[in-house]
Amino acid sequence: MSQEYDITLKISRYDPDTGRSWIQDYHLKAGRILRFVDLFRQINDEQDPTLAWSSSCEHAQCGTCGMKINGKPLLACELLVKNAVELFETHTFRVEPLTIAPVIRDLVVDLEKAYDRIHLVKPYLIAPAPPHPDGDEYRISPRVLKTYEEATRCINCFCCSTACVTTQRNYLGPNAMLANIVRIMDPRETAEKERLDVLHGENGTPRCRTARACSFVCPKEIDIAHFIALAKEGAFRRSL
Amino acid sequence: MRSIKLASELKIDSVLKPEVLVIGAGGAGLRCAAEICERRPGTSIIAVTKVHSPQKSHTSTAQGGMAAVDPKDPIDRIVYHMFDTWKGSDCSADQNIIKAVCESAWEQIVWLERHGMHFSRTEEGRIAKRPFGGHMLNFGQVKAFRSCYEADRTGKGIMDTVWGESLKHGVVFLNQSVATELLFRNGRCVGAVVLMEQNGKFVAILAKATVMATGGKTRMYQVSTNCRQNTGDGLCLILQAGLPVMDLEAVQFHPTGIVGPGILASEALRGEGGILRNKDEEPFMERYAPTAKDLAPRDVVSRCIMTEIREGRGCVHPDHKLPHVWLDLRHLPEYIHKTRILEVCGFFRKFVGVEPRHELCPVTPTAHYQMGGAPTNEFGEVQKDARQIVPGLYACGEFAAATLHGHNRLGTNSLLELITMGKVVGERVTAYIEHAENPGDIPKDAGSRIFSRFSGYLEANGQEHYAKIRDALRVLMMDKVGVFRNEKGLTEAIEELKMLKDRARRLELSSRSLVMNQDLIQFWELDHLLDISMVIAQSALARKESRGAHYREDYPERSPEFHYHTLAYMTDCGNITLDKRDIDMSIFEAKGEHYEKFGIIERKY
Repeated sequence: MSQEYDITLKISRYDPDTGRSWIQDYHLKAGRILRFVDLFRQINDEQDPTLAWSSSCEHAQCGTCGMKINGKPLLACELLVKNAVELFETHTFRVEPLTIAPVIRDLVVDLEKAYDRIHLVKPYLIAPAPPHPDGDEYRISPRVLKTYEEATRCINCFCCSTACVTTQRNYLGPNAMLANIVRIMDPRETAEKERLDVLHGENGTPRCRTARACSFVCPKEIDIAHFIALAKEGAFRRSL
Repeated sequence: MRSIKLASELKIDSVLKPEVLVIGAGGAGLRCAAEICERRPGTSIIAVTKVHSPQKSHTSTAQGGMAAVDPKDPIDRIVYHMFDTWKGSDCSADQNIIKAVCESAWEQIVWLERHGMHFSRTEEGRIAKRPFGGHMLNFGQVKAFRSCYEADRTGKGIMDTVWGESLKHGVVFLNQSVATELLFRNGRCVGAVVLMEQNGKFVAILAKATVMATGGKTRMYQVSTNCRQNTGDGLCLILQAGLPVMDLEAVQFHPTGIVGPGILASEALRGEGGILRNKDEEPFMERYAPTAKDLAPRDVVSRCIMTEIREGRGCVHPDHKLPHVWLDLRHLPEYIHKTRILEVCGFFRKFVGVEPRHELCPVTPTAHYQMGGAPTNEFGEVQKDARQIVPGLYACGEFAAATLHGHNRLGTNSLLELITMGKVVGERVTAYIEHAENPGDIPKDAGSRIFSRFSGYLEANGQEHYAKIRDALRVLMMDKVGVFRNEKGLTEAIEELKMLKDRARRLELSSRSLVMNQDLIQFWELDHLLDISMVIAQSALARKESRGAHYREDYPERSPEFHYHTLAYMTDCGNITLDKRDIDMSIFEAKGEHYEKFGIIERKY
């Protein structure tokens, strides 16, 4: 049961103090159900305290530890060693930072820069509808909520933006698109025109090539491409 | 670039002057910021967070819900919620806070909803409500439908909403930055020195008002639900400034953490019929609590699990090498697995490779929540002793102890505290900055304390190893300052903590860079973990009774002699001074309707 694997991690390193980049190999023995974040900690503890990486909740709820492993963007906290061995059919893993923002050190990217695109779509109600006459909460039917509820689960890990095949650098990216679409579908938002202008603006829907890579990699299994497809057709409320 | 050779090169690179500084940009800090912006548009606010973006805060991981009595509810009443909270606290919450929080609860739920939170809904389109442990109708008789929720991600819903509102109002964020020293002038707090990790620069932030909301701190325990950053940095800033912390002995252990990572496996699993079993697969809760069995209160179940483990009826996980018992979900019908516990069961599949429909799930008590924190009055003003406040310094959320929870917290009352007390503090700060003087120039000695500490880390050249000290600490706290405590264990723990602190002075830093230097930050955090552990152990040793989550095997009953809050001061690790603060009994003393329910009551479920 407590099988161990001999694992090799080939990790992208970057030292901002010298500007040097390189790939460093680490060999380690790892239990089958260790997560990749545990492996990085093991490297820090036993081999190299200078390796920098990011995480926070470490159970796939916050989206801090996104990175590319053998080319696939994913959350390092939910990839177990045995699953990685099965998925990639190897004991050697190439570990790289996400490509959506500049690297600060090693696997740590400047998420603040990545978040700039989320800020562009205003992730809040721009102009909330007037309150319910009773003075309490708005009434939203569970059937209406269901049409966009899945999209509210996005944690902005930026795995989708990394996987996206669009080459234009100014594309808002799937998660920022989603943040906008959610609020077009939310009956409490009245700033529909402003939102649609951003949605269909030059950095919005025209940039999406419908390759569905976003849906394929999303750690929360959100069908992002479905929502972008609704947006392209303007079919936000058709299913009602 | 930013790699330094000499510690004497440490300096303050720049000075920022917002009107308000918020340290900790989670649910409480940003609810506070949003309130200030709504009341006084244009107020300049800087919010500092240790994580990459406010959305990554620990608040985002909360699942359950927020308790609030809907005024349209025909049977529930606010006084029932107040009673449940008082009873749950084992008679050590402050009644002025219970009243303020419970009375404003619904209003704050509506605030969140109007600002875009995606609450789950009833058929009529209203906010849905569900029952939760310890929340009852009619003074403890039947379960109440009082918890407002967003599926199993209520914390994320709150976080997204208050973060969005803060962005909308132009709050400036310093992400991936840590507050390292509070600044004072003539006893008034005037801001803090902050290290920005991404560029390695120290910046002094001078503000009229400083709000601390840095959350919890249970990373000193081997198994913990807290995120990687919860290392007690905020509480240490308070201690280093010569201010007290309150009730730190009150640490909540959730009975069912998933072995290894310590991820929470919600009470809902037992609510749906899950059964705890020992290594012989015996359903042991029947022996300890014949009536409530697996649904006894959190502190009780945690103690039963630890007893099984200590008496040799636990298992040891082959991969994580941790002791545990089993949670059996195999007998639950397929539809329950598919509809009601899908997400949580997913954690077992994902993180321990177990299929709960066919296999037993390994669980163990996990350090979950701090009931104590920085003592404040009912307006969130931080106190320097039982009577006086520190002008300009405020606290809210899990970080603060006002206190709503006393020595044991009810589920769904924590998120409620964030939004209600965050709002109260926002109101208070708005009024204060209207008339407060500007903080003036940077105090002459600003940074001197933190630079002296960082010099120590940068110049240390010992043989000790960070990870070994961290691991020893986490095992020690779990064993001797955990679910069960006694005089012998606590005394030993205090001695061992002194030794660990001594060893922590003999580390060697791997790199002298100030930019994103994980090693340097971890040394700084380790000092905090050790200092706060020392306060927990000393406070637990002094409280010779059992109350809520604080359980002393040598004093298993609650004692009237200890009917007070513990205040602890500690400027050097180990050199602790203890004091007391009265428990507010204002509901009882007002002699209004049902006042007798708010006396010193028995805590039986």
